[in-house]
Amino acid sequence: MKSSDAGSSEAGPDEPVDAFDLAILDGIREIFEQADPMPADLPERIKFSLALRDLEAEVARLAAEEDPRLLAARGAEQSRTITFDSDSLTIMIRIDSNKDGTVRIDGWLAPAQRREIEMRTAADTLREVSDVQGRFAFASVPRGTARLSVRPGEQGQSGPGRPVVTPTLIL
Amino acid sequence: MADDPRSVTAPPSRPDRNARIAGMVNAAREGSEDALGQIVTELSPLLWHVARAAGLSSCEAEDVVQTVWMRLLSHLDGIRTSAALTGWLVVTTRREAWRVRAAGRRQLPADHDWLAALPDTGPGSEEQVIIDDQRRALWVAIGQLSRRCQELLRIIAFVPHPDYQAVAAELGMAVGSIGPTRGRCLAKLRAMLAG
Repeated sequence: MKSSDAGSSEAGPDEPVDAFDLAILDGIREIFEQADPMPADLPERIKFSLALRDLEAEVARLAAEEDPRLLAARGAEQSRTITFDSDSLTIMIRIDSNKDGTVRIDGWLAPAQRREIEMRTAADTLREVSDVQGRFAFASVPRGTARLSVRPGEQGQSGPGRPVVTPTLIL
Repeated sequence: MADDPRSVTAPPSRPDRNARIAGMVNAAREGSEDALGQIVTELSPLLWHVARAAGLSSCEAEDVVQTVWMRLLSHLDGIRTSAALTGWLVVTTRREAWRVRAAGRRQLPADHDWLAALPDTGPGSEEQVIIDDQRRALWVAIGQLSRRCQELLRIIAFVPHPDYQAVAAELGMAVGSIGPTRGRCLAKLRAMLAG
């Protein structure tokens, strides 16, 4: 440790944090609040997810989201494909815009299985059932926040008994 | 240090904030959506900066922050204090961010994109110009630190002061026998600002 200037004796790493350190940290916080702020609506979306909480549920994680720029290059700018992974299930969805301002969602479950699927939006909850190939579709979903929830499989059926939920999406 | 004139903002006193957060955690455990919502509002910015400091894209960071809050629900039973809550959230977010980054098999961006430009606050009063100069000096100094130091300082800057010690210890930063010490990264930054 070099001690080249007069202040170094009180600025060593083993000294207690003082008011100047706290002022530096306040400055760092201000810089990042300005340079890379949290999206302002994120806490509201999280509260929406938590309000629909299901303590037993497995939380699926975002596994892949196709880059919108690639989609635009293909001339399919209104379509978005997102994959979610959980321990027991992979959920892949494609979101397309309808002419009336709503969106259409086509989805696949892997491993393929029949499950009840809920699409919870701010307004209400839509329900569909996947077919034996694991396919499901919601023809008309209002734009805004939404969250997919795959209900537990029936008893005696192969597959897990726990529901699987995705994080909240912005449609 | 509380009466040092250089102290820029007086953080809420330790017992007040700790009691308030502990009360909200208790209420959330008993099912209060309102208490949980207040905790989310208060601590989500910290988690956002933890995830972004770990090198995640904005989309990934949003997803990780949501996932961590959902996971907290099944861990509330073991959390009684503000420091325990903040520590658990920071460590879980960081771990989840690493997992997402590893799953994407991505390298960290070679340079620090957020350092590309300091947003301009525009023309202002003489006082504003002085603040901007200080901020620019701080910005330049942060850019010269190691990536690890940048990450740690960005996290610690968003940790509520009373929880600083617990989080610094969790992150492997120096903690003295009677309280948090400055640590290597902050000491280095301070030396740069002095030089």
